[in-house]
Amino acid sequence: MDMMERLMNLDRRWLYLLVGLAAVIPILAPLNLPVNVSKPVQDLYDRIESLEPGEIIMVSFDYGPSTGPENDPMGDAIIMHALARDLRVVIIALYPLGGVTEAREELERCVGDLDPPNGQIESTRFPGKVYGRDFIYFGYKDGGLAAMRLMSDNMHEVFPADFYGTPLEEYELGREVQGYDDVAFVMSLATGIIGEWWANLVNAQFGTPVAVGCTAVSAPKYFAYYRAGQMFALLAGLKGAAEYEYLVSEKYPQLADITDSFIYNAGKGWDVQSVVYSIITLFIIIGNVAFIVERRRQKRGM
Amino acid sequence: MYKKQFPLLLAFLGGAIPIVSFFITTPGDRLKVTTDTLQDWMLIIAGAALLLGVVNLFQINLRKISTRAKGWPNALWLLLSLVIAAILGLADAFDTSVFGIWGGDVAFQWIQDAAFKPLQSTMFSLLAFYVASAAFRAFRVRNVEAGILLSAALIIMLGVNPYAVKILPFLPDTTNWIMNIPNAAAQRGIIIGAALGAASFSLRILLGIERSYLGLQKGE
Amino acid sequence: MRKHPITEVSVAAVLLLLAPGYALAQAPETISWGLRMENFSALILFVVFSGVVMTFIRLAHGGRDLYIRRIAGLNAVEEAIGRSTELGKKVLYVPGIMSIDEVQTLASLAVLKHVAKHTAQYGTPLEVPNKDPLTYAAARETVKEAYLEAGRPDLFNEEVVNYVTYDQFAYTAAVTGKMVREKPAANFLVGSFYAESLLLAEAGQSTGAIQIAGTAEVAQLPFFVTTCDYTLIGEELYAASAYLSREPVMLGSIKGQDIVKFILLCWIVLGILIYTFTGNTAMHDWLLSQ
Repeated sequence: MDMMERLMNLDRRWLYLLVGLAAVIPILAPLNLPVNVSKPVQDLYDRIESLEPGEIIMVSFDYGPSTGPENDPMGDAIIMHALARDLRVVIIALYPLGGVTEAREELERCVGDLDPPNGQIESTRFPGKVYGRDFIYFGYKDGGLAAMRLMSDNMHEVFPADFYGTPLEEYELGREVQGYDDVAFVMSLATGIIGEWWANLVNAQFGTPVAVGCTAVSAPKYFAYYRAGQMFALLAGLKGAAEYEYLVSEKYPQLADITDSFIYNAGKGWDVQSVVYSIITLFIIIGNVAFIVERRRQKRGM
Repeated sequence: MYKKQFPLLLAFLGGAIPIVSFFITTPGDRLKVTTDTLQDWMLIIAGAALLLGVVNLFQINLRKISTRAKGWPNALWLLLSLVIAAILGLADAFDTSVFGIWGGDVAFQWIQDAAFKPLQSTMFSLLAFYVASAAFRAFRVRNVEAGILLSAALIIMLGVNPYAVKILPFLPDTTNWIMNIPNAAAQRGIIIGAALGAASFSLRILLGIERSYLGLQKGE
Repeated sequence: MRKHPITEVSVAAVLLLLAPGYALAQAPETISWGLRMENFSALILFVVFSGVVMTFIRLAHGGRDLYIRRIAGLNAVEEAIGRSTELGKKVLYVPGIMSIDEVQTLASLAVLKHVAKHTAQYGTPLEVPNKDPLTYAAARETVKEAYLEAGRPDLFNEEVVNYVTYDQFAYTAAVTGKMVREKPAANFLVGSFYAESLLLAEAGQSTGAIQIAGTAEVAQLPFFVTTCDYTLIGEELYAASAYLSREPVMLGSIKGQDIVKFILLCWIVLGILIYTFTGNTAMHDWLLSQ
């Protein structure tokens, strides 16, 4: 079997080995590869920058641990960006398998440890920001579409208390948010179909602006909604997360310091993805060169 | 009539009521309330069906263990894990401790954090390897269509590569154009076709023409 | 067979009429019957769609011959089962990961019935691992009935249709493990899939099995197309039961659906032309208000 045939029929385990190395090395030795910002991501950044201090945004954690590496950095970036802009953040979770844990973990990653029932309500990372006034976690609600429908003007029926069990009426931010009209926009960090529900129901029927941070595999589908104007912004996969993290870090160096302190962030993930993409591209090109050479050789031999 | 016709009748009602409530308002919006109640009933039935599934799991795996079939230690471990997770989960739900030692929430959370999440992430990470091998095998210039597929894939992969973008600065715009125009158009076409197919299939179920899900044949 | 004097349709109609009666009984002083105007466009589409489909069902019932194009994936079903029989290996059928309320799962069960009938006729082992308990219950009955119809009820046992787990990736791990250990000769991946689609398809591909996939999940189609031998794309999955059974009434509904697709296509082109040459956005604005 000559070189070309060997390349065409390469044992996939060599490819797996290279991909494995490409995934591990950039995490241990970050490459800090440059990021090109695309319009769907710039739109989200510009929207947040255009809001007045004190305005409220809602962030919905609609994913579980399996897509954490893609969605977690999006959640971190948007929560921290909003707090740095003195916006107020309402966090909810609608994903049944792990959404409630992801939301709590990312909130605490951004603001520091919280224990509101025992009085630990001030953020250690954003001094002066207080739970219940500047940010709040409503918790998880089952029901997907039904819950979204009810939230339009009956938020307190869907979330009577926050995640820690305190009635929403006892918090300033909890009292202010009665429905979608009280928030500037909704950001859904989604896996699967939930982002579409926000666009098809909340934006289409109630007119609430919606932005979505989705996994890369769902991104082609979501672009259709972005083009149709049903979403005003889209963070597509880890690349979208890396672009947004870059924009936020450039404007707010203190947030760059926080992000750099994380073991894993979108920038590191993007390094990995770029290297793996390069390896795959290289192997596709090598495979095709071998294929074309072999085919020509067979034609000449005929 | 009851074994074969009653399920068809239920299927018809289960479909017709939500459809009517979607288009027509009723006093007190009771039809919508009925629709929501039907959806709640579905969740309850799913919970009951879970019991069926667990019974089947025990049947198959106990038989494997008792006959010492190939892989029986794995079957034993499966059943043990199921029982342990169930006990800890119930302890967490009822806020009690297990054997007076562990707080139910602590133990269950530990299983989630130490076992469930890493295992889920591990399975999901296999996608990276499988995407590489699938791409290497599938993107070959066998014919014109395969060539177009390959070109689009290469443009998009190179369009997000920072070094390729430095050499070919038009790549990001081309990538965005491919994602926003031909890709969005194709996605919409498939979505419309699939939606109409689903609607046609649903109408067949509603009218009782499609009966295979009940195990019935035409004429039964 | 003796026909019951009260048909099921009459019973259904009576029960359906009871619903508004119940509603009236609850709130007699506020009569608020009306049309939901925000869903009016959907009502128009529903009426047109149902009308066209019912018309073609009637035409098919009347004996009119209806042509449906060839679907390679469905023609390959028997080939795949035959290959498994020759090799003496099992057929693995994965009916998707969603529950019975998902239309794709129902469509998958229709294909499963066909596959189960053929495996029973040829005596080929079949395995149907399930993620959802309701799907498990329905698949079990479907396969049991198929085996009964094929005259081989003795071949059915509890291991043919089994329940694995509700967790998506645990289920994927179990099924890919089965594929690698037991090496089925034919894999059917038909139904609603998400992130596990590539994991299942690539694992199956690595074992050398012939793979037939079908899904309407647009995001997963590329993975199936690149790893499986045949893929049913979107509406082909929903047409499968009609295509395989060749029942005229079901084929009529497929024809009707195609006509509606053509009507929608004309409407889209009309909208594009109106907007391009006149700039009029009245239709667009009305649809946005829906």
